[in-house]
Amino acid sequence: MFDLVISDVHMPDMDGFKLLELVGLEMDLPVIMLSVNGETKTVLKGITHGACDYLLKPVRIEELRNVWQHVVRRKFSNRETNNNLDFCKEYSKNPTTDSYHGLSQVTSGSSDQGNRASKKRKEPHSEEEDEGDDNDAHDNDEPSGSKKPRVVWSVELHRKFVAAVNHLGIDKAVPKRILDLMNVEKLTRENVASHLQKYRLYLRRLSVVASQQASIAAAFGGRDPFLHMGAFEGIHNYQPFASSAGIPSFNPHGLLSGVGAAAFGLEDLAPSKAIQCASSNGAVSHCMGDTNKFHIANLQEKNQANLAQGLTAPLVQPQLQQKWIPQETSDLSSFFSGSALANTMSGTLQRVTSSSFPPVELLECTQIKVGAHSSIRIPSASSGLLERSVGLSPNLQDSSISQQCAIPIDDGFSVNKLPLHIPFVDVSTTKLDASFVVPEQDMDQKGKFPERVTVLPYESLIAADRSKCGTRSSGSTMLLLSDTGRHSKYLKFGVASNSRHGMDEMVNGSFNYNGGASVPEQNDVYDFGISKLQGGFNSSSCSFDGLLNSIIKVENDDVPFADNDLGCELFPLGACI
Amino acid sequence: MAATMKLSTLGYAASMLSTGLLDEQFQKLLLLQNKSDPNFVAETITLFCEDGEHTIGELTKRLDKQCVNFDEVAAFVHKLEGGSASVGAKRVKNTCIQFLEFCKEKSRDGCLKTLDTLRVVFYEVSGKFKDMLQLEQQQAEATK
Repeated sequence: MFDLVISDVHMPDMDGFKLLELVGLEMDLPVIMLSVNGETKTVLKGITHGACDYLLKPVRIEELRNVWQHVVRRKFSNRETNNNLDFCKEYSKNPTTDSYHGLSQVTSGSSDQGNRASKKRKEPHSEEEDEGDDNDAHDNDEPSGSKKPRVVWSVELHRKFVAAVNHLGIDKAVPKRILDLMNVEKLTRENVASHLQKYRLYLRRLSVVASQQASIAAAFGGRDPFLHMGAFEGIHNYQPFASSAGIPSFNPHGLLSGVGAAAFGLEDLAPSKAIQCASSNGAVSHCMGDTNKFHIANLQEKNQANLAQGLTAPLVQPQLQQKWIPQETSDLSSFFSGSALANTMSGTLQRVTSSSFPPVELLECTQIKVGAHSSIRIPSASSGLLERSVGLSPNLQDSSISQQCAIPIDDGFSVNKLPLHIPFVDVSTTKLDASFVVPEQDMDQKGKFPERVTVLPYESLIAADRSKCGTRSSGSTMLLLSDTGRHSKYLKFGVASNSRHGMDEMVNGSFNYNGGASVPEQNDVYDFGISKLQGGFNSSSCSFDGLLNSIIKVENDDVPFADNDLGCELFPLGACI
Repeated sequence: MAATMKLSTLGYAASMLSTGLLDEQFQKLLLLQNKSDPNFVAETITLFCEDGEHTIGELTKRLDKQCVNFDEVAAFVHKLEGGSASVGAKRVKNTCIQFLEFCKEKSRDGCLKTLDTLRVVFYEVSGKFKDMLQLEQQQAEATK
């Protein structure tokens, strides 16, 4: 029927923004707002309500010529969303590209095509609203049984979600009730459930981060209560970290596996070779629920034995579902300041690279580029945010090393995909930075990826290594932490540059969760606009930025503009309100 | 015929433009007219004039009271602002913007004063528009 809505903001019978929301949700049409009032706050309001565009009166022809692009873009994103069944796949494509980003690409692509003529639309006299670009609030519900529909958690949707959760109380919020309260059609209980999980993790992370802030800066180490291993699940691109020094993001599967590999290569791990998640055993216990966790536990048990061999067959495996994103060669900019641990880590890592690494599988995912990273940065600055995939040096290449472990960058959802095989250095021993935040990434599928990778300070790695040296023998000394018990060490690497990059990425596409933190959930282009964490998460600002970015400005192509399309009065004065 | 009309209109518009009564938006408005809608400009301008008069009447009425409902007043002014912006009536638009400021401040005096200014500018542009339309009509008839 209709393809586009252009609505005035001030109308006598109904507020334009309200209409915008309604049309967007119910009819899933792109809505363009129109007003003589061009104040920033009004425009912002339009964006947050989901407008595709905001035109100022007097409306210029050039602007109207490009209006069709909104329609095309919407159609493209719909098509894409429908085709992307699973998050994993989507994210794995390119960790740094969130859906939002993808949408931009789509948009630009579409404008390049010659669709214009066919896409020109005659705007109906009745004004319709455009759905915000960013806000693809449509829930793509594909009824086909085999495919899992992707739900785009638009700002609107998320807002409703948060309202419902707050109404019910975070403790009592169950997906079924939330779903009822939200009253959004085409949203399944499962969608809400996974979203809720992410949201909970996100909140937890926020609180932990807040409390950890001071301690992180001061001393890395201790347990990071945050390591919600549970976060393995569904990692969301939450950027809560603004302050957290290093939020470990890890892929439970990968991590543990990776850790095992790394740590395990060395026999020395006995004391605590197991790479421990976030410096806390507790964290590991989180994982317990997960099969991987179990695996890890096993791993730990086997540390000693495995170590000798380097390990771990049990470890690594299968759990890696994630795709590793080849890490950029940039150094790991953020490291956990795990002091000793870090040192060990670096040392071991280095060693690993040089030596043949037995546990191929282990290393498989983790390719940490230890290289000559001379800078060790405390994650606090950037870590939280970045999850970057770290690629191990090529030495570790092995047939079994299939992928490079990438520390997922905390870009929106892309992070989700990155499995982290970063050995986690146990903080406990060396008091590594405990501010690991387990990224809440809800992976609909099995893989849960840690969002963040905590990076061990290089020095600490070295130190650790040195300490281990004595005990270690040959080759694969990936001894990360020789601490006391077996800890699964988790190495989080936050690449400074990555983080920055991540930030940018995030900004482009992440959603911000309401409530102070923006959690980028973006699935579609919209997703997110939010910000990648910038130090503080500011949902409104983040999302706005993201949204703005995502608003695709019509490019003034030379689209032949047929006057006929504008046969109707452009601005019937009577309707100018 | 359309071309002739445009020419005369343009001539008139040029003079209005030079006096600052109209801005370039009006030119764009003219460009929108085409064969499929030959009366577009005429209709739009007429609509603007009528609407504007009606609005000013309403504003006068509402500001006359002691207790002014500024929201309502602002709504009217906003409507006129939009209309004038679309037509290219620059001065009217600017006056409306001022008017809205006073509405925000809830200053009845300010509003009344601005209303007077508005009335003046509006009728000025509206008068010119009517003349222009008349001219076009005469030309149209002349060429028949």
